[in-house]
Amino acid sequence: MTEIPETQPSPPRASFFGSGAFSHVLPFLILLAIGIALPLFAGGYWGVIAQRACVYWVLAAGLNLLVGFAGQLAIGWVALLTLGAYTSSVLATGNVLPPIHPYLALAVAGAVGAVFGVIVGLPALRLRTFYFAITTLGFATIVTQIALAWTSVTGGGVGVQGPVLPPPFDSQWGFYYFCFGIAAVCTWMTMNVAASRFGRALTAIRDAEVAAEASGISKPGLLVTVFLFSGAVAGVAGGLFASLQSYITPDAFTIELSVLFFIGILIGGRGSVLGPLLGTILLTVLPELAAPLVAWSTFLYATLLLVIVLAMPGGIADLLDFKNRRPLQSNRAIVPRPELLPRLLGEHRNSGKLTLEDVALNFGGVHAIDGLDLTINPGEVHGLIGPNGSGKTTTLNVISGYYAPQRGTAKLGGEVLPALARHTRAQMRIARTFQTPRLVGEASVLENVMIGGTIDGQGTFAESLISLPRHRRDEAMLRENATLALSIVGLERLAAVRTDRLQHSELRFVEIARALMLRPAFLLLDEPAAGLSAEEIRRLGALVVEIAKTGTGVLLVEHHADLIFDICHQVTVLNLGKKLAAGTPAEIRSHREVVNAYLGG
Amino acid sequence: MPTSAGELLRVSGLSTGYGKVIVLRGIDLTIGAGEIVALLGPNGAGKTTLLRAVSGLLPWSGSVQFGGRDLSGAGPRETAKAGLVHVIEGHRVFTQQSVFDNLLLAAYDLPRGERNARVEEALGFFPEIAEKRHERAVALSGGQQQMLAVAQGLVRRPKLLMLDEPSAGLSPVLVDRVFVVVGRLRETGTAVLLVEQLIEKALALADRVYALARGSIVLQAATTEADLPHRLELAYFATAERRVN
Amino acid sequence: MLQSIVLSGLAIGSVYALIGVAYNVMYSASRVFSFTAGTLGMIGGILGSLFILRMGLPIWLGFVLALAGGALFGVVTEILAVRPVLKSLDQHLYVLSTLALALMTQQFAAIEWSTEPQPFPRIFDLPRGGFDQTFWLPMLACVVTIVGLELLYRHTLVGHAFLAIAEDNYAARALGLPERNLRIASFAIAGAIGALAGFAGGQLLLAFFANAPLLTFYGFVPVALGGMGNNRGAVAAGLILGLFQQAANFLVGGIFASVAVFAAFIFVLLAFPDGLAGPSTQRRV
Repeated sequence: MTEIPETQPSPPRASFFGSGAFSHVLPFLILLAIGIALPLFAGGYWGVIAQRACVYWVLAAGLNLLVGFAGQLAIGWVALLTLGAYTSSVLATGNVLPPIHPYLALAVAGAVGAVFGVIVGLPALRLRTFYFAITTLGFATIVTQIALAWTSVTGGGVGVQGPVLPPPFDSQWGFYYFCFGIAAVCTWMTMNVAASRFGRALTAIRDAEVAAEASGISKPGLLVTVFLFSGAVAGVAGGLFASLQSYITPDAFTIELSVLFFIGILIGGRGSVLGPLLGTILLTVLPELAAPLVAWSTFLYATLLLVIVLAMPGGIADLLDFKNRRPLQSNRAIVPRPELLPRLLGEHRNSGKLTLEDVALNFGGVHAIDGLDLTINPGEVHGLIGPNGSGKTTTLNVISGYYAPQRGTAKLGGEVLPALARHTRAQMRIARTFQTPRLVGEASVLENVMIGGTIDGQGTFAESLISLPRHRRDEAMLRENATLALSIVGLERLAAVRTDRLQHSELRFVEIARALMLRPAFLLLDEPAAGLSAEEIRRLGALVVEIAKTGTGVLLVEHHADLIFDICHQVTVLNLGKKLAAGTPAEIRSHREVVNAYLGG
Repeated sequence: MPTSAGELLRVSGLSTGYGKVIVLRGIDLTIGAGEIVALLGPNGAGKTTLLRAVSGLLPWSGSVQFGGRDLSGAGPRETAKAGLVHVIEGHRVFTQQSVFDNLLLAAYDLPRGERNARVEEALGFFPEIAEKRHERAVALSGGQQQMLAVAQGLVRRPKLLMLDEPSAGLSPVLVDRVFVVVGRLRETGTAVLLVEQLIEKALALADRVYALARGSIVLQAATTEADLPHRLELAYFATAERRVN
Repeated sequence: MLQSIVLSGLAIGSVYALIGVAYNVMYSASRVFSFTAGTLGMIGGILGSLFILRMGLPIWLGFVLALAGGALFGVVTEILAVRPVLKSLDQHLYVLSTLALALMTQQFAAIEWSTEPQPFPRIFDLPRGGFDQTFWLPMLACVVTIVGLELLYRHTLVGHAFLAIAEDNYAARALGLPERNLRIASFAIAGAIGALAGFAGGQLLLAFFANAPLLTFYGFVPVALGGMGNNRGAVAAGLILGLFQQAANFLVGGIFASVAVFAAFIFVLLAFPDGLAGPSTQRRV
């Protein structure tokens, strides 16, 4: 083994034994070593528990992407374990069709799991969280009822024999190693996804859905992929579970079991692989430590869940996150380095003008915008001001596709921007920030910025799963660009810090860095100066001016008159959804009507 | 300045915001009994935030004294009981309930026997909605809903009524009618803190004015002082002025 | 057969409808869907059986105590699982805290009461058969609850305050309404309604811990289909659900009845995400 160099955790680099990556992988290597050496020091009874922990983790690893990363509350995921278990048992035993090889049966169980994973997942694409949670619960209840009632296939309450794997996996430790191998592979795969643009996109969907859309992430497409994967591994876990039990009956698949997986992940902590792994092991082993705990295990898990939710929402992963407990320098200043902009943004991009033509939109009879014409030129900062409710943010939301105008169109270089298709804006290189910063608090600053470049990755989800070259190239490219973007806004020293530890003003600059990852032709800034100190506003202004100089058109919605008059080339004043005035800052400044309306506020 | 004997509200060193975002820092403001004070300022200056903090809808640090009583930790219910009533922006009345029931809700904490009388008293200020007392609030126009919201505030016979942009979205005629009522409150001895965007109307009505910009009070003056609109403008654009020139 | 389908369908549908109303009452006060809704039904059944059969209390006293138990559990839910997470509703943590409480209660019942369904007492000493109390008790409970809630919401100031909080929580707080107390009261009312569902449907569902997850699911169907916060919609959808389920039971048999209900539920939800009646009046989205 190489020596571990003692360095400060600078922005993690890709080299494996660089301290960052190594300390990240170390706990998994320790678990791997313990797992391999287990038969040397543990008796047969612990072997059974270890088998069970491995099987549970195979399911939980996939479920973790769904629950821990994407934030989808799939409570009844046990249904897919049930399906996988019955599929492999029924096929291998041959009580309906001629028996097939156990490995093949296991593979079919995975396929069935994948298909049903998507079916159960469909409501998550359209419905509120609680609805999805309830439908998975309902699905779990119903699958068990079917297993009980469909006697000719499942054996009903009597049950069916689980598949027996061929040698060498038929012995206790042989089967253990089989399960352990699959669990290790699942761990590796989910770690790969977690560290990929897909993993980051999932956390963005969970914590900052609008920002995910603005970065071009398509929620339905990504979630369906994850449902497929989680369903498949849950199906395989079901097959293994059937072999482990050697005989399965419907009462093996209780809601309590489902809750074990689910709670294991949440106790472990959202957005982590190690935490849920430890959580699953903990919940599997805990009841074995004392006999009374067996009966009360679910009660115990549920109590743990309540404690986690109320007292430590970060879970185990948070406890283990020593790096982020080190205090941050308290009087840090944001010092942007706009001179680096050309390195990230490259040559002048020419995309034509961004125009609104006679756009009108009303909400319940109130005219939010009423026949607005607006042209934003590349390379210019265009200020949009007006009193509350004058239609500024509505205008921005029409451009970024949140609202469909009832009349008129938004165009980019003569091409119409499709209404209500928010995730298409990133493809057209229109980036935006939000009034309230929308970031993933539990992810590092660097990861948040990398989310902005999601659409520039080339590799597929499958390539990321098994870490193929394209995936690694994508990651290196995104990491490099994000580091550069952070340097530009002056936050590179905070790259590795958890985002929710930052000050509000820093979050605003992180959002700009994320927007720059798109190499935007147009950048829409929604009140970027709100909550900033005077000095920070000055630096923000200078940065925005430099961004525009690279050819990016900037739309600046702002209340801070000083900033608007300082940096804008053009200013449009809105009042009651209509253009009150437009012109250079000097013209606007001397416009009597504007001064009245604007001062009113 | 109000004399300290007639002083009703004293806010000193108040800071507040939303989560990590600090909107107001070190606000000092006083209102005398029966005084009408306008709070002006550009968009995003924090006027609404200040009202929310004072009425207990937002947590704050600093000190708020009302009628000699310390309001630290008081929620909206306590401040309202103490006689400090906040009519929030956007005439948010309960659309599915009748005008009368909307006003009864404002009388929730009053003794049962007094409620109807108080509601009638509040309706007396607005004959226009008194006629529609049995109609659901959804059937009222925006201006009538605003009158209803102000009437809700009056049900408690407040010592200080804080009105957040009562003119927003109203036609000039309706604005005048609402302002006439606000003016009549002077006779009843009710103090008013008025957040407004119609500067001229606000200045015509108020005794004193505070201007808020960039999270701080940048100006306070009696409305009788000369050249006030221009000074307000300067106060708002203080920094811009320096740079443009 | 038709009579049997209609009777049992309306009876079980009334239980679902009442659980749906319990969901709604909690939701209106807090914007939280609580996983404890089904647990309330379980509590009503188990406490009824415990007080009347096991402890031999008079039926009326057992009834009152069962409802009080449900109300108490509602209040505990509010304090323990809802209030602490109200500030972070967008993170969906509430789903987990109420789920945790529901599971704890359910497991406690399984261990301390029984893992097998236990008999529930007959409430009235009437001859069995035909239009039996097994069927009309849940229907009666449903009618009484709906009439009671309508009277409360329409004719009392407290009821108006509940509606005000449901329509615009912020405006209600600004007006000085005692929002927290009203929320606790709502959870107590929901608790009593849920327990009433379990008690009135006790002879149908028995005193069984596993009724909790079952009712949590089937009680939510009327909420989802009838529109959130819409009690009349919940009752209509609950009765339809009960009839549909019983009809499917008789026509295609037990397994496929569940599948049919589930499939129909998912299908309708995907087609009408706001429920069949559309969203209840809302503003300022």
